[in-house]
Amino acid sequence: MSLVRYLARRLAQGALIVFLVSALIFTLLRVVPGDPVRLMAGGMAPEALIEEIAADMGLRDPIYVQFGRYVAGILQGDLGQSFVRPANGAAVGGASFDDSTRGERAKVWSLIANSAPMTLQLALLAMIFALVIALPIGVWGGLRPGAWPDRFALYISSVFVSLPNFWLGIVLALLLSVKLQLVPAIGYNGFAYTILPAFVLAIEIAPFIIRTLTVSVAGVMSQSFIDIAAVRGLTRNQIVFRHVMKNSAVPLLNLLGVQFSMLLGGVLVIEFIFDYPGLGLLTINAVMQRDFPLIQGIAIVTAAAFVLINIVVDLAATTIDPRLEY
Amino acid sequence: MSLDMLQTKTLLSVRDLTVTLTTEGCDVLRGVSFDLAPRQILSVIGESGSGKTVLARALASWLSEPLEITGGEILFEGRNLVEDPAFARHLGGREIAYVGGNPAGALDPTMTVGAQLVEKLRAVRPEISTQEARRKAIRLLEAVKIPAAERRFHEYPFQYSGGMMQRAMIVDALMSDPALLIADNITQPLDVTVAAQILKLMRDLNKDFSTAILFICSSLPVACDAADEVMVLHGGRVVERQVPSGLIASPEHAYTRTLIEELPTLWTGTRESAPPPSRDQQAIMSVRGVAKHYETRGASGKAQVQAVRNVEFDVFPGDNFGIVGESGCGKSSLMRLLTGLERPDAGTIFFEDENIGQASPKRLRALRRRFQLVLQDPYGSLPPQSPIGAIIEEPLKIHGLGNRAERRDRARAAMSEVGLNVASYDSLPTGLSAGQRQRLNVARAMVLEPRLLIMDETLSALDQTEQGKMLNLFERLQAQHGFTYIFISHDLTMVRQVCSRIAVMYLGETVEVAPNERLFFDPGHPYTRALLSAAPTLEKRRYLPEECLLEGEPPSPIDLPPGCAFAGRCPHAFDRCLSETPRLQTRNAQALAACHLIDGGVAQ
Repeated sequence: MSLVRYLARRLAQGALIVFLVSALIFTLLRVVPGDPVRLMAGGMAPEALIEEIAADMGLRDPIYVQFGRYVAGILQGDLGQSFVRPANGAAVGGASFDDSTRGERAKVWSLIANSAPMTLQLALLAMIFALVIALPIGVWGGLRPGAWPDRFALYISSVFVSLPNFWLGIVLALLLSVKLQLVPAIGYNGFAYTILPAFVLAIEIAPFIIRTLTVSVAGVMSQSFIDIAAVRGLTRNQIVFRHVMKNSAVPLLNLLGVQFSMLLGGVLVIEFIFDYPGLGLLTINAVMQRDFPLIQGIAIVTAAAFVLINIVVDLAATTIDPRLEY
Repeated sequence: MSLDMLQTKTLLSVRDLTVTLTTEGCDVLRGVSFDLAPRQILSVIGESGSGKTVLARALASWLSEPLEITGGEILFEGRNLVEDPAFARHLGGREIAYVGGNPAGALDPTMTVGAQLVEKLRAVRPEISTQEARRKAIRLLEAVKIPAAERRFHEYPFQYSGGMMQRAMIVDALMSDPALLIADNITQPLDVTVAAQILKLMRDLNKDFSTAILFICSSLPVACDAADEVMVLHGGRVVERQVPSGLIASPEHAYTRTLIEELPTLWTGTRESAPPPSRDQQAIMSVRGVAKHYETRGASGKAQVQAVRNVEFDVFPGDNFGIVGESGCGKSSLMRLLTGLERPDAGTIFFEDENIGQASPKRLRALRRRFQLVLQDPYGSLPPQSPIGAIIEEPLKIHGLGNRAERRDRARAAMSEVGLNVASYDSLPTGLSAGQRQRLNVARAMVLEPRLLIMDETLSALDQTEQGKMLNLFERLQAQHGFTYIFISHDLTMVRQVCSRIAVMYLGETVEVAPNERLFFDPGHPYTRALLSAAPTLEKRRYLPEECLLEGEPPSPIDLPPGCAFAGRCPHAFDRCLSETPRLQTRNAQALAACHLIDGGVAQ
């Protein structure tokens, strides 16, 4: 019963957050310099035409009117249409303001729906790689605080955290794709194209996981119920795998939630370097083209994902540790 | 196990056991030898540092660096555990079970108690099915009198109270039918009434499950209560072993003799306790109908914890006023109200002529010059980076009293008065012992020359000898400066020694307020009687636990039952107690109690 109430409360809070984010983004986009209509219609378009198109699209109305219209659309599941992208094919705001081939403009929702699964796939794989790297190192370090596994965990985290991801991405692409031809690197044409960018992201995230794990595992190991467990007759394996791991999972879970949200929202650099057609690449192009509706749409979807992931993380944490009340 | 053959002989035989602290090169246990027969209960008693806990851990194969067994043998059913550590580890949790003194942290907080009991049994006896282990756990939980064991089996450790958790840990130890149970200070963290229940339980279990028990504790009365025989450990050696009556009647070793002599008494012996000050003068502190609640989130939304309710008492100048009660009775919440750290929801607290509950923050600060607080924790209550002199001078600075030289003089005077070496004026408190730290705390409080000192469990971190010295100091300071003291404490023996008048709290309420003699010899509230009956003492008991207290623990302050809060545990409860809350009322001559029995409701 209280679970339902808890979910309702959290979802209502989340809706408020998403609303505030969209209001902020909406306002900021319209305050910054640069006229999207000029970009759409091209530099050669006459001023009168620009004004006409702008008025047509409602871009000369007061901001709150525009926002109201926008929110009304969202409530009906309509995120609007891209300023620049045609529904079919490539995205270029043209020099051709009077181009007759110019078709219907693309729906923001379908643009996001096409690239979000790509990013989700990338984020999940990166998470899996990161955990595979970080779990053994982190847990081992936590079990032997002060000894060499602990120091090893610290050193390797320092190395990982100091590698700039764009540099690592380029070097690995050179080495693994160009030289050794093991995995493909640029663009997307099948699952294999996800591996390399996911690995680079994993290296970026792993140090945080390692650090959190060593600290929380070492903390749990020093608690008296672990100490007493051996006297009670439990074996070392039972103690480590059942009790230590479970008790150190909550801080890790919180971290994973934040990291995963960040992966979903903005792996801009990596997607750009690998030309990976996910949300990050879509965002970069949308920003460069001043594609207001698309930027807004991405921001709202990302914020909503962030909110949902946090709710899931908190629910999972209460399942692991019943002392954390809703 | 060929237990049957050895049943009549010794179960455990320790020979010349020596344990060394390898970093210091000194021996913690020196040639300890003793035998334990099957089904016997043997108490081990000694002061802190006598090696009790080291002995317990050595027997449970739980010694860790830098402690090491450097000599002797531990023969369990004839096999030497020192030479065969693998076998010793194998016995741990199976034949030799251990229960420690900190039940709160003893189980994994993320798993239900039941699941952990089953896990433990299956770890040492994999052949037992989960179903069977579960049935056994529930049966044992019932045996240790955990109410609604079936439901409690599925609850988490944090849903258990301290006393219930200790019972659960005893169940955990008994799950594997051990031949030996090592109980290391198991009643230490528990309230006296709960500790008394646990002791009784342990004796019953010893009968029903035929487990030998090594009962380690630091209180002589508790040790004598619990065991068939008492063994005294002093400086790492066994100095004496006798049956309890023999030990008390004719102690052989000098250490045991001093221990028994210095033991404070409740009912016997002479005491020059000052008569309560006259009630004609104006009260220095007057508390009327004070209440305070806190909000928490419970199972179904918000819940209110009634921390303090209906508290009423007067403290007169020159009084040594005691406030006693078990943990969770609201003593500390009350202390926060008395000192103006928090404001009451209802009622008034008059200090001299001002209501502390409503004074402005500025006024409160000025008032604090005249009442000061000394806290329980000698370590957490002092700033580790300030020199001792600066700590004592700080209150003077806060209140803007004196110039530098004067402040320095007053701090030094206070130091010598409480018995701190004035030469340590510039050193940090790091090297001070717990007792010296509490002296420093007292010096800091008295440097303002307050009229009232509130001592919140100030002595409970100190051992018996140090407590005695501090009490002498309090008495001397009172004679010199005319202080009035309020002692907040859970320790009846301490209160008996120093207080002139005593208030007893139960679940946030003052259930009785009476002069010292009257409270101990003619208590007006059944809870006071229960508390007195459970107090550990070697004297002949005036009140028998069996007659004074029903099984059970205080109800939760979240869902208070209607009527008298004590009714559920009171052997004299009748209909009216369940419906109507009793108020404090006079029982002739200065004694007050909140009980329906007084106005003759229904006499028992």
